Amino acid sequence: MTRTLSPLDRRRHLTGMAFVTPTLLVITAILVYPILQSFVLSFGQSSLDGSEPYRFVGLQHYATLAASDRFWNALWVTLVFTGLSIPLELGIGIGLAVLMNEHFRFKGIARLAVLFPWALPTALNTLMWRWMYNTDYGLFNAAALQSGLVDRPINWLGDETLAMASMVVVAVWKTSSFMALIILAGLQSIPRELYEAGRMDGMTRWQEFREITLPLLKGPILVALIVRSMDALRTFELPFNLTDGGPVTATESLSLYAYKVIFDFIEFNYGAAIVVVQFLVIFAMSLLYILTLRNRD
Amino acid sequence: MKFVMPILATTMALAAPAAYAQDLVLSIGSRGYGPAVERNIEGYQAEHPDIGIEWNKVSDVPGETRKLYVTGLTAKSPTPDLFAVDVIWAGEFAQRGWLEPLNGLLDDGTIAAFNPSLLDAAKVDGKVHALPLYADGIHFFYRTDLLERYGLEVPQTWQEVQAAAQTITEGEGNPQLYGFVSMWAKIEGLFMNWLAFTNGNGGGFYDAEGNVAVNSPANIEATQFMVDLLHKHRLAPDSILNARPDDARTLFQQGRAAFLMVQDFVYAPLSADDSPVAGKFDFTRVPYFEGHDDADTTTMGGWFLGINPNSENKEAAADFLTFFTGKEQQLAAAVEDNRAPTIPAVYEDPAMADNEVLAKFGANYAFGVVRPSAGTGADYPRVSEVMQLEITNALHRQKTVEEALNDAQAQLEDLLSR
Repeated sequence: MTRTLSPLDRRRHLTGMAFVTPTLLVITAILVYPILQSFVLSFGQSSLDGSEPYRFVGLQHYATLAASDRFWNALWVTLVFTGLSIPLELGIGIGLAVLMNEHFRFKGIARLAVLFPWALPTALNTLMWRWMYNTDYGLFNAAALQSGLVDRPINWLGDETLAMASMVVVAVWKTSSFMALIILAGLQSIPRELYEAGRMDGMTRWQEFREITLPLLKGPILVALIVRSMDALRTFELPFNLTDGGPVTATESLSLYAYKVIFDFIEFNYGAAIVVVQFLVIFAMSLLYILTLRNRD
Repeated sequence: MKFVMPILATTMALAAPAAYAQDLVLSIGSRGYGPAVERNIEGYQAEHPDIGIEWNKVSDVPGETRKLYVTGLTAKSPTPDLFAVDVIWAGEFAQRGWLEPLNGLLDDGTIAAFNPSLLDAAKVDGKVHALPLYADGIHFFYRTDLLERYGLEVPQTWQEVQAAAQTITEGEGNPQLYGFVSMWAKIEGLFMNWLAFTNGNGGGFYDAEGNVAVNSPANIEATQFMVDLLHKHRLAPDSILNARPDDARTLFQQGRAAFLMVQDFVYAPLSADDSPVAGKFDFTRVPYFEGHDDADTTTMGGWFLGINPNSENKEAAADFLTFFTGKEQQLAAAVEDNRAPTIPAVYEDPAMADNEVLAKFGANYAFGVVRPSAGTGADYPRVSEVMQLEITNALHRQKTVEEALNDAQAQLEDLLSR
């Protein structure tokens, strides 16, 4: 592959580098530096204002972490939340994308409506849902009570199982449309000829979907999965605004736990250890996806 | 950075629209001290036209404000110059060097005028780090019309509360009406509630020797009463477990609860003209358990005002602090807004005699319980978290009361021996 660059090529190369360098510097400053800093913090004991100089303590914070039920609970909550919400989002997302790809009246409006939840900030969405879940004034309990399904209000956000389910519902409602958007883009790049050929061979609609659409959607689906899983594994605004991690710690995600350790207890080093573990979990998951992607090619 | 800051400061000063000799930034919420904040700022500026004061209205949810402060203080930000701190943070912030020591900065006489037991909460190494602005406590609000309808006396003990709530809810037969509401979400207010219940049964956070004893038999019994009120007698709504002070207040204000247990601030909205329960409610001291009629059951809170050690205008801030917490201002806040003064001499003012509401608050404060924040200092947030978590475990029946309090005790012993 070695080839000598002509002077012109070399100059182009340099110009390219010059254009890229500022971006790389910014990325290093705002992405790489904090990650490294978190690692450094997690192996030591210090105070951020410098009143206590940095002292290396090795794996001490990680040992505390491994012995902490609350940490394992937060990790479990995060994994359960991700494991429940991602498949649901994917299923609904594919369904929505296929629907939006069909020709029907008001298609533009329908597409806009589907994107609406995704366009709103999570914190805002969540506050809106919290009101609907409210035990005494909420929409769901009003409906349930008036229809006579229950005779005592349901405490949606005050029950361990219901709270997790409620959180998953909000996540699915909000982000299925994101999945749908990426998959729709994939759908539109599938050549029509393939379907025409399929029809000539007497394929049913279901066979078309199974044999043509799904295999050609693998790429977009993987991209959507990576982005959404990373999002779900670091979920913060959702539990913070919906349940504050409650009841007890039933919906306390890793991010929320780290936030409490850092800002409530002011233990930056221990908090950094949680963040590092979270980083490793997300990193491992991304590697897994990337390797799957590569094998496919 | 050293040369950047003055340049920035100069640029900002030049860009500022009003030309004051000095600018002070004050961070305080708008609900807690109510209209007094605005009045005090205007009063001070009338006397000192050369000083500009900017009111940074922070959240009235203490946890949120705390996070804001922590971010600024760890970054050594010079603003705000003055900020309001919850009584439970005063000791911790002082220990962390986040409050400027006031001895030397203020006149000795100014500091000596305050209630010494309140000052203790902000005292570290013998130095006062913030001045108490006002005190408050938890009170027991009840519906006078409902008690009257069933010929009931104002309940004094928890046993009477339970019986009265039962009579009222059964008599009304309205599933939308609850017996008892309070703030039992996993927040600081839950720990305050628990202290009121347990102290009312002769228990509390410490035993008689001053050792942590959260799993004492008296505490287990009182906590069990809380659990039973909710799950066995069904006198509290399930939503009490998510309720913050204002959620509980809203239910009571809409006429959906017979009894309410929260702090002073609810008196103003409950008695406002547009309040459905205006004229139909009153309040008394938080109940006790039978046989403990002299127990302290009013869990106390309050707010302090202190100076940021990184402020560039400490002298001016100290002068404003003296004015803001001064006797005249406290008297106005007491007479007009029912805010409990922290300078004992204010109570002796003849104008105070007319304020019956504040006199009743004051009678309840006489049965005050303070939270263990002074004794545990920087560990207090952890202590409170352990208690909130384990009490919640008991209230959700994830653990028995005994298990939860035993677990709390073990964690506290471990935490406080470090």
